[in-house]
Amino acid sequence: MEKVIDFLSFQDPTVRLVVAGTVLLSISAAVVGCFAYLRKRALVGDALAHSLLPGVAMAFLFSGQKDPWLLLLGAMVSGWLALGAMELIQQHTKLASETAIALVLSVFFGFGVLMLTYLQHHGGGDQAGLDQFLFGNAASMRSSDLYAYGLVGMVLLVIIGAFYKELKLYCFDPDHAQAIGLPTRGLRYLLNTMTVLATAIGIQSVGVVLMAALLITPAATARFWSYRLRTMLFLAALGGAVAGLGGSFASYLAPAMPTGPWIVMVLSFLALVSIFLAPRVGIFARMWRQRQNQRKIIRENLLKAFYHGLENREGDQAWLSRPEWQEQRHLPEWEWQIGFRQLRRHRWILRRSGHYRLTERGLAEARRVVRLHRLWELYLSRYLALGKDHLHPGAESIEHLITPEVEKELLRELDYPEQDPHRSPIPYKS
Amino acid sequence: MSANKEATPALEVHNLTATYDRQPVLWDIDFSLPEGSLAGILGPNGSGKTTLLRNIMGLMQPDSGYVRLLGQDLAKVRAQVSYVPQRESVDWNFPVSVSEVVAMGRYGPGKLLRRLRRPDRDIIEEAMEKTGILPLAHRHISQLSGGQQQRVFIARALAQQAQIYLMDEPFVGVDAATEEAILNLLGEMKDRGQTVIMVHHDLQTAQDYFDQAVLLQTRLVAAGPVETVLNKENLQQAYGGRLNVLSKVGQLAAEKQFPLREKAFRERKKPAHGEGD
Amino acid sequence: MSTAPILRSMVLFLALGVLGGCQPTQKPGFQVVATTGMLGDAAQVLLEGVDSVSVKVLMGPGVDPHLYRATQGDIEALARADVILYNGLHLEGKMQDIFDRLRHRSVIVAAHALPEEALLNATEYQNAHDPHIWFDPVLWEKVIGHLGRHLAALRPTQAQRIKANTRRYRAQIREAHAWAQEQMEAIPPKRRVMITAHDAFKYLGQRYQMEVRGLQGISTTAEYGIRDITDLTDLIIARQIKAIFVESSVPKRSVEAVIAAARSRGHELRLGGTLYSDALGAEGSPADTYLGMFYHNVSTIKQALQ
Repeated sequence: MEKVIDFLSFQDPTVRLVVAGTVLLSISAAVVGCFAYLRKRALVGDALAHSLLPGVAMAFLFSGQKDPWLLLLGAMVSGWLALGAMELIQQHTKLASETAIALVLSVFFGFGVLMLTYLQHHGGGDQAGLDQFLFGNAASMRSSDLYAYGLVGMVLLVIIGAFYKELKLYCFDPDHAQAIGLPTRGLRYLLNTMTVLATAIGIQSVGVVLMAALLITPAATARFWSYRLRTMLFLAALGGAVAGLGGSFASYLAPAMPTGPWIVMVLSFLALVSIFLAPRVGIFARMWRQRQNQRKIIRENLLKAFYHGLENREGDQAWLSRPEWQEQRHLPEWEWQIGFRQLRRHRWILRRSGHYRLTERGLAEARRVVRLHRLWELYLSRYLALGKDHLHPGAESIEHLITPEVEKELLRELDYPEQDPHRSPIPYKS
Repeated sequence: MSANKEATPALEVHNLTATYDRQPVLWDIDFSLPEGSLAGILGPNGSGKTTLLRNIMGLMQPDSGYVRLLGQDLAKVRAQVSYVPQRESVDWNFPVSVSEVVAMGRYGPGKLLRRLRRPDRDIIEEAMEKTGILPLAHRHISQLSGGQQQRVFIARALAQQAQIYLMDEPFVGVDAATEEAILNLLGEMKDRGQTVIMVHHDLQTAQDYFDQAVLLQTRLVAAGPVETVLNKENLQQAYGGRLNVLSKVGQLAAEKQFPLREKAFRERKKPAHGEGD
Repeated sequence: MSTAPILRSMVLFLALGVLGGCQPTQKPGFQVVATTGMLGDAAQVLLEGVDSVSVKVLMGPGVDPHLYRATQGDIEALARADVILYNGLHLEGKMQDIFDRLRHRSVIVAAHALPEEALLNATEYQNAHDPHIWFDPVLWEKVIGHLGRHLAALRPTQAQRIKANTRRYRAQIREAHAWAQEQMEAIPPKRRVMITAHDAFKYLGQRYQMEVRGLQGISTTAEYGIRDITDLTDLIIARQIKAIFVESSVPKRSVEAVIAAARSRGHELRLGGTLYSDALGAEGSPADTYLGMFYHNVSTIKQALQ
């Protein structure tokens, strides 16, 4: 626990440096990544990250990792060549876009590995191990790195702020953007350059291999929680920041923990949590909704069964015994148990020595369900011209679905009928 | 309808030839439409209707020939021309609301780096009101029905406050309420002297909706007032099957990657009437 | 754009690749292939005066043996060699598969010269030992003896010469050891702490009563994070250590991070110099032989810490 406090007090200068760096880089990658994600170009982001390797390796060859700006320049050149190659291939050959992307990715990455292996064999210790570029080396970030990359990251965010509505339009409807005279080519170049830059600076913290995660995972996660672009961007940035913090914390907590992979672990964890916990679209939400639906179906079926029991009785008896009730409808025992509990909870049912009866509200509810069933059967028989035997199954599920508004329309449509196709009376308020 | 031959036509298409995927889709299309007309671009599937519209809007470049809008190059009159695409052209899961999409009608090169102001917002609201979607303003676009989606696009075009409206099959798959709303709008636009040029899929309603018609079947079958265009012979030509020889020649051109027009005969952007005066 | 030229170049590439993989002709003479520079240097010295000997070193100056991946050319050289020298104990971590396949050839493993008790344990890996045995001249001397014996057995006609070379070289190493002991003893005990990029110097530390700490573990493939930097910086500040060393075969970045961290906390930490840890120095530099490297390292350490 005190490690947490130590960490968050930011007294350790390494912690300050690494957290500042990884958080900033993750935020810019996440925000730029949202646009790549929305343009459905997530795959290109991954290819791009891998394609930066030769450029970075060349810059390294000349500067020995001393100059962050040179590394950025190398990355830009490499990235732009890769994007250009992908475009050329798509335009001039019959290869599909995925093939073009995979091709460029493998060729550039292979070339990069070749260069780094050559460096490894012939260089002095100043040349890096392959691993540093493949998986990042955030823990040994320098302040010169932080200034350079942090500056670039902030510039990216400012540009997105300035051109927000045009970028939004371009990603949503590029035709319309072109039609109203926006410089679509410029916007496309802008987005591509920003993606290259965000990737180039992100490589410092998570490396080439994992960079795609930094771009796309926050965007995909944010999508679960929001319907608006602004919210989505904010949540993605937040996710990126949390991941940067979390990864740095993991690296702070235990020895020999690389920051980059831990950042990606945090992002993946957030994504996993979102898949389960997001409201409405999350798995738990859906399961819960399903459960609610099932319960509704069971209790309404029970009510209907009881009502049928009353209808089949002679006389005005309001009480039914258990067997009399259960013979109206064949349901497994566990559904009866659930149903009873539901009906009792809603106070729709009274019990006395093995006999049951509906309360006022229970009776009204039972009438409602039966009414909806019979109205729907009437609707089906009139408008879908279904034969009498085909009506019941359809109505069985729909009766649980119809809301009071639709009920009103149904009544209007059918002109307040008194009987259903089987000549059973349609119960209104009595 | 203006009978004055010297009035600038709203749209002039001059010997337009276009290919899609190397196959020729439009051969030598040549017609013009006067301002204030309500025109339908008709023809069977694959006759090149959408391609024609996209060429007019500058979203595609023709192989040869050119287009003039209000007597000028599209680039000069973009603000006066508004485009309503097919609904399938966007992903309706994109995280934007109805009002955000309509607001896009107010964007433009002049608005780069500038926020939308109150007059813009008023225009946007009015456009949504006219198309009956104001109550849906904050709804996410994935929660709309087909007809509502269509109306969002139309509202966006209205917000642009253009003179000429180009629409691609706006009546496809919409409910009765939307159909009525669109027709009302069209009536209003006609009263205001605006021009509407629409790709339409249904011949039966074409007679009622439009006063001008352009009948396509890869080449121009007929263009002019709707009664004269939609006669038996024309319809037979357009719908009675493709021109076999033309198709074969087109296929040959695609296979051999042959240009459809030699360089000397490719008519490109000539200076328009009135320019350089 | 037609695809024919692309196809043609691809076929050309493939053809070249196939040709390149063919077995080359055997070169005349005694081919010795050594992995590290230290072993290569030993082979050169021990085989001095023996004709038609060629010694090829796979890992040149500044190359990190922990990370080294053999190329196709290396594998061919190994296949052609008359004798192969490698360190063992997983120093050449990424070449183990290749070594396992070389069993039928004449292979001399440096580590086999030493009894298990003489080896230090690698703390991170169970059942593994620290492979940096050359830093202890007493141990290395034994390795030289082992090497000499086996080379003599492989070249019986030259056995006398090889044995004489071995004796002479062992004497030189003993001399170096005596000198080093003197140097190290002159450093006050409180200051005998060496901080380096990775844990290469444990044998040195053990032999000369030096405390040795590295940022990364025994192998440079080990990851390091904020915790490692912070812990090391804490140690440096607590013990008031004045100097830290970079290594010729390891990127400077990690050590620079520690220096920066110490400086931010107000502690003046200097760069003590470059040590040659897992590789020799460049050709022509004083550290391009084992003895040269040893003398350079010891004097650098002495100067920085005293």
